[in-house]
Order: sequence, then C-alpha cells, then structure tokens
Amino acid sequence: MLDFHIPALGCVLASFILAYLAWIRPKKDIVALSTPIYSFIFFIVPTDFSTGVLLQVLYAVSLTLLLVRLKYRFGRPGNAALLGKELGGSLKTYVEETRDALSGTSHEVAHNAALVFVRFAEGNYEDAAQSAKTALFGEKAGDQVSPLMRAFGIIREHSTLLDTSQPRPLTYLTFSEKDSPLLAKPRLPVHDPETEFYAALDNALLLVFSAAWNASEPDRPHLLACQAFAQKLFT
Amino acid sequence: MKIGNVDVKVSIVAIAVFVIFSIFLFFASVFSPDVRSQLIWLIPGLFMLLVIPIALNYMSRSQYADIAPVYEAQAKTLRIKLINESMVGKPVRVEGVVERVHFQILNRPQYIVADRSGAISVKMFTSPDEDVKVNDIVEVIGQVIRRYIVTGDPVINCVSIRKIKNS
Repeated sequence: MLDFHIPALGCVLASFILAYLAWIRPKKDIVALSTPIYSFIFFIVPTDFSTGVLLQVLYAVSLTLLLVRLKYRFGRPGNAALLGKELGGSLKTYVEETRDALSGTSHEVAHNAALVFVRFAEGNYEDAAQSAKTALFGEKAGDQVSPLMRAFGIIREHSTLLDTSQPRPLTYLTFSEKDSPLLAKPRLPVHDPETEFYAALDNALLLVFSAAWNASEPDRPHLLACQAFAQKLFT
Repeated sequence: MKIGNVDVKVSIVAIAVFVIFSIFLFFASVFSPDVRSQLIWLIPGLFMLLVIPIALNYMSRSQYADIAPVYEAQAKTLRIKLINESMVGKPVRVEGVVERVHFQILNRPQYIVADRSGAISVKMFTSPDEDVKVNDIVEVIGQVIRRYIVTGDPVINCVSIRKIKNS
C-alpha cells in the first residue's frame, strides 16, 4: 500500500515542480502550469478507478514530455523571478558601463528621463514627447549631457510621429559619431535609413533609462516595472 | 451566410457535431421506438446545435463590427517591438506578415504576425472578415492584453485583421 502511494505522491510533486519551472519563465506555458490540477484530479480526488501503476507511468511520461516541450518551446528560466526586483542581463551591463559618463546628470533631468521612458513604454506618446520637451528646455546642454539631450530630442521626435501614426520622415535626428561610446547599439557601417532611424530610438531610450537609473534612485521602481521593454530594445 | 449586414460563419466543428448527432439520431430513431417517441424535442434540440453557434457568431461579429471603427480611430500605428506589458489595454495597429495561423477551424483564429522588429501573437475571439493565410501581409487593429489575462507575454486581442497584400 505504501509502495503504491509513493509514486503517486511523486507524480503530484513532479507536477508542482513542472508548474514552478513554467512559472519562472518569462513566456508562460499554460499546459505545464495546469499540471498540478490534473495531478490533484488523478491522484488525490477519490474515484472509483484505481490510480494503478499504468496511470502513474503514463502520467510520468507525460510530465517528461511536457518538460522537454517547456525547455525547447518556452525558453530558459530567465529573469522572470528577478524582473521587478533588480536589473539583469545586457541592461545591467549597459547601465553600469554608462554610469560614469552620465554622472553629471542633474536629479531633475534624470527624473524627466524616467518619466520619458515610462510614458514611452506605456504608449503615452503625447506625454512622452511633452516630458522630453521639458527635459530639453529645462537644462542647459553642456558637453557631458549633450548625448542625453540628443536622446531626448530623438525620443521627442519619435513620440510625436507615433502619436500621430506618421511614417519615418526623410530627415530625422540621430546621434553624432562622438556619442558612439555611450550607445548600446553600435552605429551601422552601411547606411540604411530604416535601420538607422529605429536604432537611434532604441539607443535614445536606453540612454535615458541609464540616466534615470543612475541619477534618480526614487524612480527605480518605475523603471524596473518597464525592464522587460528595456531588455527588448537590445534585440 | 448573411444575417442583416453581418456575414455569419459557422465553424466546421459545429457542422461536424451537427452531422454526427444527426446520423446518430437517425439510426437511433430507426431502431428504437422509444427514441421515435421523443423526436418532438430531439429534432429541435439537434437544430439548436447549429443555431446556438450561429447566434453566438452573429452576436460576436456584430459587436466586433460596432467597435472596430472606435479602435480604428484610437489605435496608434506601432512597430511590434514597441508593444510591451506596460501597454496592456492600449489600442494598437500593426502591419506585418502572417507567419502562422492556428485554430481557424474553431472560429477562434490565432496568428503570429511579424514585422522587421519582431513577432507577436494575435488572438481573435470570432471569425475574421477575410480568410487570412500564412504569408499574407496584414493590418491588425486590436488591444494589447496579457496572454493569460493576468500573466504572460503581451499579445493583441484582435478586433480587425485586413489583408494589405495577398501571399
């Protein structure tokens, strides 16, 4: 009797482990997440049918197949558990690398940078453009902050275009050659206006994220909430 | 089938269920006098298997037809990459190529639509106006939602999907 129940208990525990592994992945697998419910129905709820060895073996095989599926179709157990608590991956490296260069950023500009990033991530492009404008006109652009000011200008331009669903204009703002060390994505050797236009936006957003993170600590929880979007900008 | 201005589409699954139960009822009534005596409510019941999906499809499609212009007016045209969790609830418009189509026979199609910046899952909870296939270039209008309502990656709850260019 004891031998008979231990594998059944194993199936239940394995289901919970599989569900946990599915939960910590950024891309959720609803099938793996629901396995504890099935284990409860099969092995815990009393039924007229015996939960024999065959059922346990078939259930264990099913869990194994789901685990393989989870691994290959739903990616690695990324930072899902960490998202919302701390920075990770390329974003963390980039923020640390640009910390010194952005150290001269005032708290006010950094707060505006946080506002711009969060509003943009939320799709509130009108507000993002307005906050970028406030940042642009509220700070004197010195040598240290000029790439950041250019970033605000780029985001403002893109936000205005997005807000009115306008396509890429023929002429647009980009970073200068000397800004390259501060940019997350290197400038392309080949001139492709489409790629250049959108890469400038990605670089601008990441730069304002870094400025906000490094110089405005109270805004960090808001930035962490948008971390998944910031991570996406590296791709 | 057109009811008013709404083009109602019945899923192949609903038709299959109706046909299977019709055959089953036919043979049961031939061989069983008990079943024959119950035909007065079994036949209307059988037709309800077809009428209910048609009514549901009519209601959902007429609702979608009503809200589509509202979304069309409010949605902002975005690259897929810009769609993220913080945008849940926002109406959006994306253009891209259809990479995969699932569950079309259930009248609940799900598409994977991609542009140069990325790919996104597009879920539709009724049948689309047009028969969208893989490699079609489409314009999608809908609302950003989470895949499993409260969790999961952002997907588009599609209100309208239109072919811009055929495959």
